[in-house]
Amino acid sequence: MTMSDWSAVTRPIPVPNELTRPFWDSARQGVLALQRCQACGAFQHPPYATCVKCMAIDLKFEPVSGKGAIYAYTIMYHAGDRRFAAAIPYASIIVELDDAPGALLAANLLEAPYTEAKVGRRVEVVFEPLNDDITLPQFLLARDTT
Amino acid sequence: MWEHRCKVALSGVGFSRVTRSAEVPLAAHALEAVKGAVEDSGLAMSDIDGLATYPELPATGHAVVDGVTIVSVNCMMAMLKLPNLSWHVQVETVNIGGAVQQAANALLAGVCRYAVVWRAMHNPKGTYQNLPGTHANGPTQFTAPYGFGGPGQGMAVAYTRWLERHNQNREKMATLAVTQRRHSHKNPHAYFCGQPLTREDYLKSRMVAYPFCLYDCDIPVQGAVAIVLTTADRARDLRPRPAYLAGYGQRLAFEVAGRIGSLSSYMEGGRSSSRLTWERSGFSPKDVDVAQIYDGFSASVIYGLESYGFCKEGEALDFIQDGRMELDGELPLNTFGGSLSTGRIHGLWHIIEGALQASGRAGERQVKDVNVSFVGASAPIVQGTTFIFVREPY
Repeated sequence: MTMSDWSAVTRPIPVPNELTRPFWDSARQGVLALQRCQACGAFQHPPYATCVKCMAIDLKFEPVSGKGAIYAYTIMYHAGDRRFAAAIPYASIIVELDDAPGALLAANLLEAPYTEAKVGRRVEVVFEPLNDDITLPQFLLARDTT
Repeated sequence: MWEHRCKVALSGVGFSRVTRSAEVPLAAHALEAVKGAVEDSGLAMSDIDGLATYPELPATGHAVVDGVTIVSVNCMMAMLKLPNLSWHVQVETVNIGGAVQQAANALLAGVCRYAVVWRAMHNPKGTYQNLPGTHANGPTQFTAPYGFGGPGQGMAVAYTRWLERHNQNREKMATLAVTQRRHSHKNPHAYFCGQPLTREDYLKSRMVAYPFCLYDCDIPVQGAVAIVLTTADRARDLRPRPAYLAGYGQRLAFEVAGRIGSLSSYMEGGRSSSRLTWERSGFSPKDVDVAQIYDGFSASVIYGLESYGFCKEGEALDFIQDGRMELDGELPLNTFGGSLSTGRIHGLWHIIEGALQASGRAGERQVKDVNVSFVGASAPIVQGTTFIFVREPY
């Protein structure tokens, strides 16, 4: 069986800060929103104080579709992080969204064998609540691969 | 070309004993390495008037205790009580290679005469990455909740992209691990000196973070290495033959914290650093006789070979085959065994080996007829620096 068992994993809970709070507020409502430069239109992630492309400071969080492709991945076999030991082997993936080229999101590939993680594989966002305040964006293999 | 090329030289080198984990305070290792480097130069400790290091503790989640888990400039000053100390620095953004570059700058500015640079690395007993937290702050809020717990995974994601984009096979990396291990048998200071590693060992070894197996990762150790840098005219009066610094560069574009997996960031980092080094020295990759390229994780060598210009993108795993990285090959590579065989001491050991090869002091592992010796002293994406040392000033 190549499915990772996440049931005994205690994920560390993200602590939003001034830059990142809108991302987590949106995720809690089931919306994936990324920081977008209002001057040049580029999306970026993780959030930053300025646009990393054009240095503008007028940045707003805008919803994106949540469809994208696996940009890169690793399969973790090492239990060095005890919090995740129960899930090994598991796929940690980096996703590039169709709407936000260049913005790279870390995630896990859920509800699929970890061997399904491949560069270029189509994925779509799903939301995993950790508690009342924090919901993690995660990814599944896309149902519609077109 | 750089007007200061070959005006600074690396003279003495020193090594501490390397143990698997901490048995004595790290300061003892640092002191042993520094004393060794000063003695190798034929200097007295009182001649040393400059100090530089990069003291970072890579084992996350452990307390920073100066003298025990790091060795800061303050700690070294307190131990050595140098009567003529006139300059010191502790760098942050450019890793240990940056400390070497700052020392070279200080020598060129005439604010010190004999500078010592050391790198001391702590390996705590027990778990290396101590990650017990229930919350993820700062940049880790976008990575830690997904089980990205250590640098190995951050590097592994870029490696899968490289492998699959270029339709390459990770098994070819066995050549790097096995050849470097063989090189290390001629380096008595290396942790794995005398312990064989075969291609079969590599191919059968357990996976850590795919595509990295155990032998793609340097082994955490406790130890230190050190060098003496001085001006070229002073170096000529010292005991060892000098290795002249022909040029250096550093990574110019920094990645936003928490953004991981970007293969292009490795390539841009390596290109920016090496471009400066090629321009300043006047050399190009085809002029290089021997290369040391940082290998904390094996894939760093791929990004180095490609971004520094030794081969084309996507070809590095083919480039290292067919004996090309052997001591008598086209580009002898990581001739001291690399971090994969010496243990995790970071890039100062690569710099030491680059200088020893340039000055003809590499002993049994000396490559024949070396003039131009290249060093990439850390992973191109993180704090990458590059150097060229030469045997003859020009």
